[in-house]
Amino acid sequence: MTALVIENLNKVYTDAYSGEEVTAIGDVSFTVERGEFVSVLGPSGCGKTTVLNTVAGFVEPTGGVVEVDGSPVSAPGPDRGVVFQSHALFPWKTVLGNAVFGLRMKGVPRAERERRGREYLELVGLGGFERKYPHELSGGMQQRLGVARVLANEPAVMLMDEPFASIDAQTRRRLQEDLTRIFEERRPTVFFVTHDIDEAVFLSDRVVVLSGRPSTVQEIVTVDLPRPRTWREAVDLPEFRDKVARINDLLSGGAGTGGGARVDSDSPVDVV
Amino acid sequence: MTATRERNASPGARPRPRRAPLARRFWARLSRNSAFRTLGPFVPVVALWWLVAEAGVFPDAFFVGPDRVVAEVGDLLRKGILPGYLSDSLTRLGYGVGFGLLIGLPMGFLTAMSLRVRKAVWPILLFFQAIADIAWLPIVIVWFGFSLTSVTFVIVYTIVFPLMLSVVAGVEQVPGELVRAARSLGAGRVRVFVEVILPGALPAVASGVRTGLGYGWRALVAAEIIVGTSGIGFMMFDARRVGDVSQVFLGMIVLGVLWYMLDALILAPFEKATVERWGMVRSMEGDG
Repeated sequence: MTALVIENLNKVYTDAYSGEEVTAIGDVSFTVERGEFVSVLGPSGCGKTTVLNTVAGFVEPTGGVVEVDGSPVSAPGPDRGVVFQSHALFPWKTVLGNAVFGLRMKGVPRAERERRGREYLELVGLGGFERKYPHELSGGMQQRLGVARVLANEPAVMLMDEPFASIDAQTRRRLQEDLTRIFEERRPTVFFVTHDIDEAVFLSDRVVVLSGRPSTVQEIVTVDLPRPRTWREAVDLPEFRDKVARINDLLSGGAGTGGGARVDSDSPVDVV
Repeated sequence: MTATRERNASPGARPRPRRAPLARRFWARLSRNSAFRTLGPFVPVVALWWLVAEAGVFPDAFFVGPDRVVAEVGDLLRKGILPGYLSDSLTRLGYGVGFGLLIGLPMGFLTAMSLRVRKAVWPILLFFQAIADIAWLPIVIVWFGFSLTSVTFVIVYTIVFPLMLSVVAGVEQVPGELVRAARSLGAGRVRVFVEVILPGALPAVASGVRTGLGYGWRALVAAEIIVGTSGIGFMMFDARRVGDVSQVFLGMIVLGVLWYMLDALILAPFEKATVERWGMVRSMEGDG
């Protein structure tokens, strides 16, 4: 079943001072199936975050339709939990308080929501940190909490906006592996925005490659890597390298030439 | 640190570095003692005061030493004047601050949350903020006479505007991502306000309350001097009239001590339990 439908999405911003119009999203259409992990990848400034913000309901599209579980999106809602690049945790709530926030909004009774909160904290590897405050956690742990907070709410789709971009490379690898593990265990529907090609290929079932502004869908690349995935195994698989090279080519504009690619991404060669 | 370690490394300088850490350890223990941390900084101030008084730089009628002030405290306590005036002043401050917060906080949040209210209120806010609190006293005395109401009015007036401004600033400083996060977790408008805006604005609101209280405190003393029926401010001005400098000094010290206590007993613990606990500001004393 289809969890998320994006059809002919278009977003034009009008500059408040000059009246100039900027097209952030040209024409973007794709779908995400239930239990599928789909990444959106594109050069910086191509409007991929705008696509996510439209799905989240933070931004009103100029044209097109976004449907989640069959109903059109008009405002933010608990069916579309967002994991932010800046974590956006509530500093005045404990780790557990953050994790159960959505359940509390839903009116789930205390005992039940704390049980579920703990379960998801355990899942992301934050067991034992329930009583800490976010500022007492490292950046990587904060983002684990960001994921737990959304998953505990069991949304129709989890939206992730470059969630690991501000985290150091070493920790990022571990977080990516843990995210795959969680995905393989729980099969949530994930919509993941990134500018890191390796990350997109490693995590995703499909990668939506956007063109530069005004953005359109350039190609949707299917990744058939076996699961469970680990970095150690993935980098040795020809399928992984092929997909990375393919997307690299797409983003650098010239099909098949590869060399001299100017892509907004970590170089795909220096994978661990 | 490094200096000691280097000295330690060089042979022949054995006995000296031994003593240095000991002194430092003593200092470290002393500076961890909260009574010392509170009173310590005042020791040189009082010493200097005493010294100036003893040296007789100024005539006795203008400048008295700590001994005279302490004697004055005993005298006023025995007569019951100091406790009476003190409770008068504190009652006025209590009323003023109470009403000030009651009016200022809701008005501040209303102004911050509604663009329409803000557009209507902002010019008025700036206009009235410009009229100094004391400038209201003449008309207030005409309206309410030499009464508690007059003093309360001035204190409330002094507190409300800085409080409103800091609430607006506080609400503006709540990261938009937090509001988005709450909304995408299912929070409606009211829940966003209660769960995100209120606590998010707290650091600025707390410092607004602090400055508001400070202003109110000053307004109280000024009002008491002018309205003048009782209270610490009245006591000081009255003492000046009869040429009792030690009572003036005492009044000033009482003001300082009271403010310090208010800060140490209410404001600072409140901030420690909230804003600092949440890591929203760095601890001022840097020992967190």
